[in-house]
Amino acid sequence: MLQGIIVLLLFQLLGEILVALTHSPIPGPVAGMLLLWLALHIKRGPSPEVQRTAQTLVQYLSLFFLPAGVGLFFLPPEIQRHWPAVIAAMVAGTFITMLLSAWLIRRLGSSH
Amino acid sequence: MDTLLQDLHNYTDSLAQKPLFGLLLTLLVYQGALWLYNRCNRSALIHPVAVSAVVIALLLKISGISYQDYVDANQLIYFLLGPTTVALAIPLYNEFHVLRRQAMPILVTVLFGALAAPAIAVGIAWGMGASDEVLLSLAPKSVTTPIAIGIADQIGAMATLTTGVVVFTGILGVLLSPAVFWLSRLGDTRLQGVVMGINAHGVGTARCFEIGSDSGAFATMAMGLTGTFTALTLPYLIHWLGY
Repeated sequence: MLQGIIVLLLFQLLGEILVALTHSPIPGPVAGMLLLWLALHIKRGPSPEVQRTAQTLVQYLSLFFLPAGVGLFFLPPEIQRHWPAVIAAMVAGTFITMLLSAWLIRRLGSSH
Repeated sequence: MDTLLQDLHNYTDSLAQKPLFGLLLTLLVYQGALWLYNRCNRSALIHPVAVSAVVIALLLKISGISYQDYVDANQLIYFLLGPTTVALAIPLYNEFHVLRRQAMPILVTVLFGALAAPAIAVGIAWGMGASDEVLLSLAPKSVTTPIAIGIADQIGAMATLTTGVVVFTGILGVLLSPAVFWLSRLGDTRLQGVVMGINAHGVGTARCFEIGSDSGAFATMAMGLTGTFTALTLPYLIHWLGY
């Protein structure tokens, strides 16, 4: 577990450094993911320890969004005036884009 | 007796400001929501994050704890999003041989989705008369939270509104997915992963990992590509439109 955490944090740090050096708009963790992915190709796969830690963390991925999600119920009053527009944009917007992209990939992709 | 009660009262007051309380609240409520979710055969309709967010918001309002105190207490949870994003490299690597064969369809759909999602959402809100600030905050709604916050800072949107909108878009993506896949007759769980990664970022990706690691890897790939493409184009697009 500890070894896995160290590897992941190390690659996050490398990602943050790369982003800072290149002034890239991509966040550090995403750059870290790409670097680790490249390293896995060179090393030909993760160690069992890293694999296990990654699996545990990914299993709780949605939990890590929870504190930010609670924030939607504590917005300043001047935003609350726009609630109907925000909700319509989220619900209808997401539904339409999902449907269109589902149609598109069904036409383009080949099923297995 | 009175002093004992007073001591207890003072103690609980200071406890509310310590990380322990807020952190435990998040974990307990989420564990409860997970239990309910599993009891209902993992129905998308009672997504654990949606249920937990409503319950926690209610509990905070009742107990009078400020959102800021709650967020400060949950820095650890928020921090774990970083290494978990890095950890997504492993399923991406493991499923790469399958992903490669579908590279073109994934890429084309990502390009389409990354442009359509902000355009349609902002268009609807604009039609309903939302302010510029709200429109800007809605633009990065389908990309993963750390990228969305970065974009929000760049284009001058409200970070708190953007974060909330992003997380709820992810939840909505999961809630709407059964209807969308039924209407579009998309049965392949890998291709479903692509749609979820584009439209529902990490929350959708987490749902796909419950279905299968290949579906999750496709979602990860689509999420990463959508986020990267949006981060590279949206700030310039908005600047070009005159904001």
